[in-house]
Order: sequence, then C-alpha cells, then structure tokens
Amino acid sequence: MFNVLRQQARAPLRRAYATQGYVPPAAANNIGQSMIPRFKPRPVSPTFYTGLPSYFENVNTLESAITTSRNILQNLQLLPLPKFARDALPESTPVWKGKDELGFQVETKLTTARYRRLVGLLTQLEEFRKIADTAGCVEVAESIGDVTVLFQRENRDAVLAGGKKKPVQFDKYGRTYTIGRRKESSARVWMIPVQGKSQKPAAAAASSVPSVQAPLPPAAEVNESQNEATSPDLTPFLSPKPLAKTEEPTEVTATNIIINNVPLIKYFPHSLDRERIMRPFRLAGLVGAYNVFAIARGGGTTGQSGAVALGVAKGIVAHAPEVQPLLKKAKLLRRDPRAVERKKTGRRKARKAFTWVRR
Amino acid sequence: MSSSILRSRLGAAARCSRRPAVTRICTRGYPAAAVPQEERPLETPDDWTQFQLDRAEFKTLVDHFSNYGSTQTRDNTWQPHHSLHRPVAPTQLTLSTLLAAGAHLGHSKSLMNPNFIPYAYGVRAGVTVIDLDHTLPLLRRAAKLVRSVAANDGTIVFVGTRPDLRSAVRKAASRMEEQGFHVADRWLPGTLTNKVQMFGAQAVLKQRVVPDLVVFLNPLQNMPAIRECAMEHVPTIGIVDSNVDPRIVMYPIPANDESTRTAELIAGVLSVAGREGVALRKEEDLKRQRRAERMAARQRDYERVAVE
Repeated sequence: MFNVLRQQARAPLRRAYATQGYVPPAAANNIGQSMIPRFKPRPVSPTFYTGLPSYFENVNTLESAITTSRNILQNLQLLPLPKFARDALPESTPVWKGKDELGFQVETKLTTARYRRLVGLLTQLEEFRKIADTAGCVEVAESIGDVTVLFQRENRDAVLAGGKKKPVQFDKYGRTYTIGRRKESSARVWMIPVQGKSQKPAAAAASSVPSVQAPLPPAAEVNESQNEATSPDLTPFLSPKPLAKTEEPTEVTATNIIINNVPLIKYFPHSLDRERIMRPFRLAGLVGAYNVFAIARGGGTTGQSGAVALGVAKGIVAHAPEVQPLLKKAKLLRRDPRAVERKKTGRRKARKAFTWVRR
Repeated sequence: MSSSILRSRLGAAARCSRRPAVTRICTRGYPAAAVPQEERPLETPDDWTQFQLDRAEFKTLVDHFSNYGSTQTRDNTWQPHHSLHRPVAPTQLTLSTLLAAGAHLGHSKSLMNPNFIPYAYGVRAGVTVIDLDHTLPLLRRAAKLVRSVAANDGTIVFVGTRPDLRSAVRKAASRMEEQGFHVADRWLPGTLTNKVQMFGAQAVLKQRVVPDLVVFLNPLQNMPAIRECAMEHVPTIGIVDSNVDPRIVMYPIPANDESTRTAELIAGVLSVAGREGVALRKEEDLKRQRRAERMAARQRDYERVAVE
C-alpha cells in the first residue's frame, strides 16, 4: 500500500516506461487488488501496429473469404477446374471502385500497389463467385456476391455501357435520325428505305418527314441512269447483255435527296459537293435505295456537304450494318476533325508571319 | 521352378504398377493430367451438376479403397498445413519435432556470427548445424514468458514480414484474441518512436500503444523494429539464425529462420502458450469480479445491520 502511495506521490517525476504502474511482487501481497492501477485499454484492431489497420483488416477479411470459398468449392468438386470447364465459364465484367473511392472506403490513402493488391484479391473472389454461379450453387454464389458487391461501383451498368456508342434508333416508320458535322456545319439527316414498285405504294408519303413541302415534281428526281440520257434511245448499247426471257429486269428505284427543303442538285450546284454526298451510296452499292431528308446549318458549302455526307454514312450503316467495314475502310464514318486553325499572336494569320525586318 | 515363376509374376506386377488404373487410385487431389475425363462442353447447369457428380463419384471410390492397404492415412500423417492449423503445445515439443521442421539447419560456415558459437552444434558440409539441445529449452523459456505476459494482461505483437510468414503471424495473433497483434507486411519505421504522429495524440494518451512483448520471426529483416523496441524498453523474442548475433533480442531462439515450417512451428508454440496465458487472465478477471461482488454484497449486509 505504501509503495503505491509513494509511486502516486512521485507521479509528476515519473518517466513514461512501458511498465508504468508496475508493483514489485514482494509488495503485492499487502495490496488490495483494487489498489493496483489498471492499465489503459488495449488497441482494438489486431492490425494496429501495421500503421494501416483498416486496410490490412480488409485485406485479411478478403483473404479469409477466398480461403473459405476455395474450401467450399473444393468440397463441391468445382475446384480445381480443368481447362474445358474453365472455357465454358462466361466472361466476367466486374467494375471495381476506383483508387480514391476504395481508399475512402478502407479509410486509407491507397497507393497503386495497395490498390492493385486489393483488386487482385477481389478478382479472385469474383472468379470463385462466377464458378459457383455457373455451376448452379446459388447460396454460395450469393454469399460471395454479398462481399464483392461492397467493392463494386454503383453505376456499374452505366460504366459498362459507357464505351459503346448508342445504336441508331428506328422510329415507327422505319426512319433513322443521324447527325453529321464538318468544320462549322452540322446536319441532321433522316433516311428511309425506298419502297419498290412491287411493295406498297405508300413510300412517297412516308419518305419525308417532320416539316415537308408538297411532293416534288418528277423533274427533281435524281435518277443516275437518266442523267446522261438525251433524245436518242441508247438502251441497247447501255445494257451489258440482252435479258433472257425468264429474267426479270433489275428494279432501279428513284430517290429524293432533299436538303433544307431544296433538292440536292439545286442546293449543291457544285458537283464536288454532290459527289461527297453520293460517295457513301456508291461504295455501298445502294444508290437508289434510300430517301434522304437533311437540315444543314452553319458553315459553307463544303462544310454542309461534308456534314450531310457523314450523316448519310451513319444512316446507311444503321439500315445495312454489313456495309460498316466497307465505309469504315473508306473513312466515311470518321468525323473529319480538320477545322480552321486559330490566329496566333505575333502572326498575321494562323501561319502567316509579319514581314521580317532585320532590325 | 515355382520360385522363378513367382519371381517373374512379382516382376510383372511391379512393371504393371504403372498402369493408368493404379495411378488413378493413387493420385491424391486427382490433378487433371492424371485423371482422364470426358472433355464434353459444359453448357447448361445440368452439365455442371453432372460434372460435379462424376468427380464426387470418383472421390468416393478413392475414399473407399483408401480404407484398404496402408494404415497411414491423410489424417494420421503429417500434412504441410498442420504446422499452421495444428500447433504444438510447449509441453509436447520434442527434439524430433524441431528436427523434422528443419530447425537445425543454419547458414554457411563463412557467414557464422562469432556470438552464435555457443548455440552451434557444429559444421557439416559447410553448413552450420544449430544445437537443438539449446533451442528446445530456450523455446520453452520464451513460451513461458509469453504465457506470463499474457496472464498479466499484456499485449503481444507477432512480426513476420515475409510473404510465407504472413499466415503464421495472423494465426498466432488470432489465437491470443484481444491481446494478440500482428505485422505481416512492412514494419513502418517510427511505429514506437514516432507514435504520436503515427497513431495520433488521442490514441497515445487514451490507449496502451506500446506493446508488452514483440516476437520476431525474421529479425534480420526487421532491425529498425528491434532497435525501436530497445529504445522503448519492450522485451523481444526472436528466431536467430547462425548469421545473426543472438544479443539483438532479449530472448533468442536459435533456429532456422529461412524455413517456413520452423517459423510456423515456433509461432504456433508461442501462440498456444499465449492462449493459455489469456485463459489464465480471463479466469483471474472472473475471480476478481466475483470477489468484488461478494465483498459488495457483504458491505451492503453490514450497512443494513448497522442501520438496524
């Protein structure tokens, strides 16, 4: 008792030893248990001395989960999985949280190495969940999924769909709406397949669009085969060979291409601009196949024709996807990034310099 | 003549032992290469169920035939995972256990630390052999220390910073419940000497941050940690190999520090002792609590009598 009192009196002078509150055994017999100073509480987490308790707790938990799942799957004869079974597993697309978000969750600033370690463990766990899920072991898959879902992003589906382009929508009449841009111009393009004579005659009415004028007179139709035809009848010379009696003549449909309510040849008097718009049709071999209605704004002739051409190419791919590699190879699906270069200080124009003066 | 026939038959049997059927039954864990399975594609969940059933059937067959033949089974022989999951108690520790774990294999003669000579049995083939007659009592002494510290409500930290030691230190710390801690990755410099910055002023004031005992499974790689423990007056236990000066730790255990099995064995022994200490401490706490309750009840009785 006296030892303890002496120690308490000396408290301000006492240095902080690890054995603070130590009572020599010889004196301990005379002291009531209540008088021995009790220690301060211990740290709670077993990973306290690592310096990153929360991070290592998570790592340990995941490692335990992996060990447990591995044992369960081994008991269920699902591990080790031979190659032919592994090939039958579907592709897994887990979307784990980013470094910052995961760091916030584990209450540690994550370096790349630590983040990768966590993600490696999570991927392994996800692999086991996939195996259990594919084999039909629902409870096992769900219990593993309960762990992995804590580390996945909330907007998982949005992220997975993010990289892919939205498919072009078809409305109830079968029209596509695409947008093309070039330089300062943008064009909105609606396209619909032309119905042949054998099909319903409702084509002409359905071919156009939001705001449309009265159907155009036949003189405005763009029919390639008739462009160069004048008074003499040259059909025997034009056709490659005479048709057999049983053969049906190939039906060539005529299209309307209307831009800003004006037909193509009138809107683009320059043949180069018209060619630019016709090129995707020509390469795809679908020259008379689609009616086109476009609204072009901004820029000049080249810009607007390029914008319409891009919109048309996108529309063709929407209607006929098999043509996509062809147009891609021809670089018709590429939004041309070239635009007017800005003027810079110290120069007269973008590149043109002021007259050089010796002094 | 009959003996020659017998001999030829035995020879034939020996040669036949490489038949695939025998290999199938003998393979434990049946790796895919040894077990030929039909490689049919698994499309529906029923295919998967059939796959699982086929494997379970084969396993049943193997298990059934395992009852015949050798009396040594998976359960009554030592398996590699036993050193981690079936720790040896300090009282059951023998020289054979240490020898089997390879605790006697030190480093090469040229690397021997002169201060280690008392613990070396000798040198063979250029390799130092550690004297297990010293190792065993020193290990038991360390176990007793761990037990006493735990019984006095002390905190013990197991440090093993190699990847193969990770599971050993985790398991050892978990056996000691609230009083066991582990450092399985890097020991951050300043854990003890820079504790205010490391853990925060509140934690240092309110909690017992400095541990009461630290056990090093690979002390050579944790010299900064050993130095910090010395500075903070924390007793240390460590597995010292022949290239290490045994005086770096307070309670050296001369043994092979490169062997995972040895480290797991030693960590197991110490953690079992620690578990006993924790149990003693809990018993003490319970007794003290009951005594306090009894005294409080008696006090109340006295007061009631005094009032009357």
